[in-house]
Amino acid sequence: MMVAMDPGFRRDDMRGKPLTAATIIQSLASGLLMGLLYGLLAVGLALIFGLMDVTNFAHGEFLMLAMYLTFFLFMFWAVDPLLSIPIVAAGMFVFGAVIYLIIIRFAMRAKANIGMVQIFATFGLAILMRGLAQYFFTPDYRSIPASMLGGKTISFFGVFLPVPQLVGALISIAAFGALYFFMKKTDFGRALEATREDAGAVALVGIDKNKVFALGWGLGSALIGLAGGVMAIFFYIYPDVGASFALIAYVTVALGGFGSVFGAFAGGIIVGLVEATTAMILPPSLKSVGIYAVYLLVVFIRPRGLFGSI
Amino acid sequence: MPISRRDVLLGGAASAALLPLATPVRAQAKEVVIGVIYPLSGASAQIGVDAQRAFETAADIVNKNYDFDLPMAKGEGFTGLGGAKLRLVFADHQADPQKGRAEAERLITQEKVSAIVGTYQSAVAVTVSQICERYQIPFLSADNSSPSLHRRGLKYYFRAAPHDEMFSTAMFDFFDALKKKGQKIETLALFHEDTIFGTDSANAQLKLASERGYKIVADIKYRANSPSLTAEVQQLKAANADVLMPSSYTTDGILLIKTMGELGYKAKNIVAQDAGFSEKALYDAVGDKIPGVISRGSFSIDLAAKRPMVGKINDMFKEKSGKDFNDYSSRQFMGLIVMADAINRAKSTDGEKIREALVATDMPGESTIMPWAKVKFDEMGQNNNADPVLLQYTGGKFVTIFPPQAAVADAIWPMP
Repeated sequence: MMVAMDPGFRRDDMRGKPLTAATIIQSLASGLLMGLLYGLLAVGLALIFGLMDVTNFAHGEFLMLAMYLTFFLFMFWAVDPLLSIPIVAAGMFVFGAVIYLIIIRFAMRAKANIGMVQIFATFGLAILMRGLAQYFFTPDYRSIPASMLGGKTISFFGVFLPVPQLVGALISIAAFGALYFFMKKTDFGRALEATREDAGAVALVGIDKNKVFALGWGLGSALIGLAGGVMAIFFYIYPDVGASFALIAYVTVALGGFGSVFGAFAGGIIVGLVEATTAMILPPSLKSVGIYAVYLLVVFIRPRGLFGSI
Repeated sequence: MPISRRDVLLGGAASAALLPLATPVRAQAKEVVIGVIYPLSGASAQIGVDAQRAFETAADIVNKNYDFDLPMAKGEGFTGLGGAKLRLVFADHQADPQKGRAEAERLITQEKVSAIVGTYQSAVAVTVSQICERYQIPFLSADNSSPSLHRRGLKYYFRAAPHDEMFSTAMFDFFDALKKKGQKIETLALFHEDTIFGTDSANAQLKLASERGYKIVADIKYRANSPSLTAEVQQLKAANADVLMPSSYTTDGILLIKTMGELGYKAKNIVAQDAGFSEKALYDAVGDKIPGVISRGSFSIDLAAKRPMVGKINDMFKEKSGKDFNDYSSRQFMGLIVMADAINRAKSTDGEKIREALVATDMPGESTIMPWAKVKFDEMGQNNNADPVLLQYTGGKFVTIFPPQAAVADAIWPMP
């Protein structure tokens, strides 16, 4: 009844479809929206790295936590994700600051191999958070079935823009604008900048390094909270959800430049557009190849990343 | 002489060592250990956790006395082995073929299992079954569906359930039947993930399409667990085939349907290769967007009307898991029963003897919980008498619509 597969069987290349203007515009528009979100996803990582040279390997798990917070606010108190975004960001701010105070602060006291200690501390935190999420939240895939934005989409001349991603992109632009203002114009922003440049010297003028770092972690985590709140609207939620996005966040930061907030913004947009463009040319299963090819090219030309200052 | 704490400990240890001599001989009531290897953490942990409940249900039926017309239900434990009890050892492969290989080796050498059942992901079944072959321990694919698995010349490999060529054949039989009734089905779009499951499934579908004169207008292979499927869905939308045929696990299935909604693409019809499209999580998330979706399956709860034990065993599973049997949990349950039945007939826990008993298996379909004709393995270890069914999701539940002898309703076509 069943015939063995003929090994010489070749599938026809079904990808010879001509690219129409509408498909190209749609691809680029989707890529740009995703890219702005990738930037928002990555900026917390860039901020923390820039402030204290610590790479948070639990970045994806912070995102997972933010998504679950949004989900539970919706499930138990029927708070629409759009309204819960500020609550989640505030919750994540506290969470990030606490993580700094109870873990990272101690990891930074290591006398030798300080980089390794930080890597393993945050990596351990990632595994712990994932395990706890699986235990307490169960590994079931969750999603928010109905919300003010969910499933809505608007179209211009055949180009579709999903409303959740559109709102996510606007939030991303607003967050970057606010962050820029904050870093340049406020005392705390200047304190962050100064601590980053010389933590020893700021202690002399009476700035508490730990306080600044804790607030830096809080701010970085709050930014992931924003991203998580938006993503919970259109993505599924489960304990491992952070993994694939964390990888994108790392390459975004590396591409845009370590420690550069603007670099994360630009890096995110580049990653989103390159991903969309690659998928037009190569089979979609290879679409992340383009991102890494561009990254390797950047490493070749400018190893610190496009806008990296260190 | 003062008695130190160390003396007390030593004394305790010594009497503990002597204890077995004092208890009555229990040689008769030895246990049978079967290794169960699933993704218990990672992206498909939910499958593994549900599978654990299905296997526990089966072990419960083996170990206690139930009045079902199902092998191993009557009597406690393995009657062929003096009432030995079944003990399951669960191992986590995290959907990683290399972890699967290491865990299989550990189960065999450390836990001394007599047989292994697994694995959900076909890619992991490849490595696990190779290790089993090397140690001459029987391996049963409870729920792997890649057709290439049983064609590797392994002596210790068995599969009671259908594989994807059988499933895909049922889909094309269904298309042919619809065409005879005057429906227009000319073009198909394949959408499949990039591991052995998706690739094998798409290969089978491509071959069947060319044999039976259907035109494939899109064949999209995507990376599993992608953060975005926008580009993929755009190509599906441009192709706008008469039938969209996804072979996707749960995460990608959810994202596919959500992205289709966002890009304004409504498929004319969807006929899915199971996997994600059998999972409650997918229908909880996006079920309202795809009324009338059809998925292949090897289980149908409709069978409970004809065979009351199906409903009763489903209730037992539901008590443990909070879910009804689906295509996966039912095959997992049945897989363990088939393996336990062979060990019982082998009257031995020796790998070669169990293998011989598996080869001799001839289980009538009525004494299973599946819509199968029977369980009987061919020389490659595949059961070709496991007839697949097609199920349609309507009104919040699955209804069997094909083949006609198993159907309880006519298919709603095209999808509403």
